[in-house]
Amino acid sequence: MKIKSILIANRGEIAIRIIRTARKMGITTFAIKTAKEPNAWYLDEADEIIDFSECYDDTPEFLDIERIIYNAKEHHIDAIHPGYGFLAENPDFARRCEEEGINFIGPSHDAIYRMGNKTVAKELAKKAKVPLLGGSKGAVPNAEEARKIAAEVGYPVILKAAAGGGGRGMRVVEREKDIERMFKLASNEAEKAFNNPDVFIEKFVREPRHIEFQILADKHGNVVHLGERECSVQRKHQKLLEESPSPALNDALRKKMGEAAIRIAKSVNYYSAGTVEFLLDDANKFSFMEMNTRIQVEHPVTEMVTGIDLIEQMIRIAEGEKLPFEQKDIKLNGWSIEWRINAEDVQSGFSPSLGTVEKISWPESDQIRVDTGVRDGSVITPYFDSMIAKLIVHAEDREKALQLSSMAIRKFWIKGTKTTLAFCRAVLQNRNFREGKFNTSFISKELKIHYHHEPDEELLAAFFAVYDYAREVHEIEDKPLYVEKGKEIAPWVLNKRLR
Amino acid sequence: MKKSKKLIALSASNKAYEFNRPLERRIKYQGKKVDIKLREDPNGFSYIVWKNKKYMLDVIEKNQNRYTIMVNGVWHTFSVETPISFKRKKYLEQQGEGSANVSIEAPMPGKIIDILVEEGSEVKGGEAIIILEAMKMQNEISSQVSGVVKSVMVKKNDSVMKDDVLIEIQKG
Repeated sequence: MKIKSILIANRGEIAIRIIRTARKMGITTFAIKTAKEPNAWYLDEADEIIDFSECYDDTPEFLDIERIIYNAKEHHIDAIHPGYGFLAENPDFARRCEEEGINFIGPSHDAIYRMGNKTVAKELAKKAKVPLLGGSKGAVPNAEEARKIAAEVGYPVILKAAAGGGGRGMRVVEREKDIERMFKLASNEAEKAFNNPDVFIEKFVREPRHIEFQILADKHGNVVHLGERECSVQRKHQKLLEESPSPALNDALRKKMGEAAIRIAKSVNYYSAGTVEFLLDDANKFSFMEMNTRIQVEHPVTEMVTGIDLIEQMIRIAEGEKLPFEQKDIKLNGWSIEWRINAEDVQSGFSPSLGTVEKISWPESDQIRVDTGVRDGSVITPYFDSMIAKLIVHAEDREKALQLSSMAIRKFWIKGTKTTLAFCRAVLQNRNFREGKFNTSFISKELKIHYHHEPDEELLAAFFAVYDYAREVHEIEDKPLYVEKGKEIAPWVLNKRLR
Repeated sequence: MKKSKKLIALSASNKAYEFNRPLERRIKYQGKKVDIKLREDPNGFSYIVWKNKKYMLDVIEKNQNRYTIMVNGVWHTFSVETPISFKRKKYLEQQGEGSANVSIEAPMPGKIIDILVEEGSEVKGGEAIIILEAMKMQNEISSQVSGVVKSVMVKKNDSVMKDDVLIEIQKG
């Protein structure tokens, strides 16, 4: 059935991203307004706004299943797109949509449930003959049991939240003496983040690559993969940049891993867009990690190299359409890299940097795409994650994509907040990164300094500090401020006059 | 009294950058004269043209003569001094002694989830002492120094602001 209206149960850049495609398809969009950011940009982009400003209880707006469902019905909305995070991988939400006759733009609640439960997912992968890592059978009941299992599996091990994702509730344990403390930490964090303290144990592969495959599947049993994304550059399991393809894969390995990803998807009769994550060790042996049953933050790199609009395909699949292509039609063209720009202070251990984005601008080109939820004057609140923009470049090959990245990052200007742009520069300076030789330990081991500046930049900063100071003194004392060619001028005034 | 004709920006690593006042477009740098052109673009960004490249600048924080300046995404801190205040600062530094107590401060705003030490505990440099939750992540705060915990200023479930003192450690 054709979808005429979509409620977007999300905010920020992904809400805007979904609206863009919906608008192209002639679909009316509804966005949810919260008291936490009542002037956010995504609200201006949507056709209609549903106001959640008034709070009835402590449930965060984008997690309030019944309120969202009620409003979707109240406004006669055909479908809901959950974006990523929040309710995207909540099987209850998908089930409630199904029950109420709202088209959930994503997989079935059953597929979400089975892939979201790590124990069930592993069983399915095993049956689908996809390689796996050793570990606990299901959730570990207590710290003592954790100690036993870890000893059997062998250190190092990793503790993961059973309901987890996005790096939260994950802890690597190197030695037996740390296992109890780390188990408690991971369990606490899991409880906080997912309302479920269950944690399981897995063999930890030292320094693997993190490679994931994009899947598209329709409701008629057709499944294709759209190649891989290289996501190895991570800090504390948080991805900071992604590329497609990966420098580590050749066509043969891509085919093998892609087919494994398709088998995983078929094992749960998957439909919609999904991502199958693998670890790849230094001998090119891969193991299934998990399946993300939603659109990913990093989906644009796949869109750039395949030319396929993933949101559009999700909507068409939800409408019951067949995939318009087969595996042999999927071609990967060129190289794409996505740089996540977070409002974080790289020089203070990536601590959150709140404030106002006074100004933001970037170089425009058909090889550069920026997905962002902020514009001049946007406020960065402590309520949501710190990602403010994604800078995506697309070029013929990796070398050119790196060059283009350097240029674009240099010209990506944000005034008013500290961002991870300095970190992006540091990564680009690194020789091993440039040569494609890196894995998930890249940031902790290889990248000793997390930000990069040119030698002269401190001088320029010093000059600017003195300028600003002198300007204030100048206002008080009426002394000459700045001299160019022997003439006294205030460059601010000069430039404003020129405009 | 004669007005000073210079201003000095003193970096966090004690590097002194000296400029003539009024500021000039041509400055002396590493023995050479180089142009430093300060401009503002139509979008309201300030930038300097230096050796034919543009550098975007922003005053991130300012408190009297203390500045945090962002250049191309990296921030630098300075205190702006006159030649007289610069001299006095140098003199005071020579007189001052390093304090034996070290404060562990919150690197970000958040909530205290757990305190792993108590008053009198011995800690080693790099050891985790507090779990702080911020932006839905639990972060281990560790002590940079070895010593004995002198006082614990927070308790479980406290909300803290950035730079709040959490724990004081007596170096030893």
